[in-house]
Amino acid sequence: MQYVGIQTQIAKNNWNSIVLLLMFPCIILGMLWVFCCIFGYQTAYDYYSNEQYSYFNWDFVNEAWVSLAPWAIAIVAIWLGIAYLFNAQMIQHATGAKPLERRENPRIYNIVENLCMSCGMPMPKINIVNDPQLNAFASGINQKTYTVTLTTGIINLLDDEELAGVVAHELTHIRNRDTRVLIVSIVFVGILSTVLTLLTRGVLRYFLWGGGGSRRSGKNNGGAGIIVVVIVAIVCAAIAYFLTLLTRFAISRKREFMADAGGAELTRNPRALASALRKISANPGLGHVNREDVAQLFIIHPQKLKQGFLDSLTSMFSSHPNTQERIRILEQF
Amino acid sequence: MTWIIILIVVAVLVLFVIGIYNNLVKLRNNRENAFADIDVQLKQRYDLVPQLVATVKGYATHEKELLEAVTVARSAAVNASSIDDKIAADNMLTSALSGLKVTLEAYPDLKANQNFLQLQGELSDIENKLAAVRRFFNSATRELNNAVQTFPGNILAGMFGFHKESMYEIEASERAAVEKAPEIKF
Repeated sequence: MQYVGIQTQIAKNNWNSIVLLLMFPCIILGMLWVFCCIFGYQTAYDYYSNEQYSYFNWDFVNEAWVSLAPWAIAIVAIWLGIAYLFNAQMIQHATGAKPLERRENPRIYNIVENLCMSCGMPMPKINIVNDPQLNAFASGINQKTYTVTLTTGIINLLDDEELAGVVAHELTHIRNRDTRVLIVSIVFVGILSTVLTLLTRGVLRYFLWGGGGSRRSGKNNGGAGIIVVVIVAIVCAAIAYFLTLLTRFAISRKREFMADAGGAELTRNPRALASALRKISANPGLGHVNREDVAQLFIIHPQKLKQGFLDSLTSMFSSHPNTQERIRILEQF
Repeated sequence: MTWIIILIVVAVLVLFVIGIYNNLVKLRNNRENAFADIDVQLKQRYDLVPQLVATVKGYATHEKELLEAVTVARSAAVNASSIDDKIAADNMLTSALSGLKVTLEAYPDLKANQNFLQLQGELSDIENKLAAVRRFFNSATRELNNAVQTFPGNILAGMFGFHKESMYEIEASERAAVEKAPEIKF
């Protein structure tokens, strides 16, 4: 694994965010085209042989696609706008986090503030989640929304030095703009998987219940219909694979090691972070958050999250390195 | 044709020099900003000291000399003009405050006083903050020194008036005093 400097990492993350942002409309338009293909399978009446035949009407597909594309783009743009404006609130809502003021918990506030001062970084917001499990994560896409979230479990169980190590790790994620890439990818994967679910459900319903004029005629179409369903299933699987590539593109093991290194450098105390990781690995996780892609944000990835078709694919490319490995590397200094 | 090539090369060189100069200016300003931040924390500390003395006076009537020492050290630090004086006065204030802290351990009434506890918490937080901003000042200095001393910046740095700057370090004469463990008198 090649280590790169912080400036390179930041530049890389910014570049990845932009590429993800650009890939998104392309993928949506691609999926739209595939969707149109489903309806391209039509029947027509051949006057010469006096029978119906089925064929694939490419013109129809392309015309449908061209007329639907602006709508798709508009919907995507609105969705992205909502995500951009409200991503902080969405994450807060998903995790049940509440903001923290200095007088509520000066210990935590001072730890974060002092660490920010020692590297000249403007201070992010702090959120607390009322949860006995130990967890911490960083989120946010710009200075206004950068946030470090801690659970009450981790606040109560770690001592000041260990907590400083964990906070430094999260602050490094923010500095490196890791959070930006991760949130962009989470929003996309979320949207794409929702669209995919809607599509598969819609398509299955269409074929099982036989809606639409071209289905009226008899067993000829019945046989062909099943083939189309299979093709659609294959296409959907291909799209799902695309999604995993997207997610994998956005996540990387390197980032966790860099955040560990950055955190250790910030606090000048790698052993504190190592001991914190030990304590966290005993009880990681966060309440009812089950999404695998959101879990990429956490400091230690809970192993028990294996839900859903997409999740089992993405878990192959798990982003978090082995916790034992992280502890070993930190303690060798 | 060669005309154009020469022009392009010169333009690229000029842009390069401009880039280096701007970078040096930014780093130097960063460092000055960091230095000013240290002063901000010091001022906060100087502001807290009278409050501390006022809170303690009622309880620790026997410690008049110690409190006076702290007050005197504080005025010296506030009125110091040159940087060396500032650093020396600041060190005196630090040792006076830590002496006071140790002595006040013997007063249980004082330790139960909410005001005092809060002030103590604030003071130790300010010490942590001072350490943090000093560390940042040192890394800003390090970045400036790197830019000034590495090639090709070092060629231009001299021309533009940038030179290696010093870190926030303890003077050699004081290092001996600081590295000795603090005396605890009862």
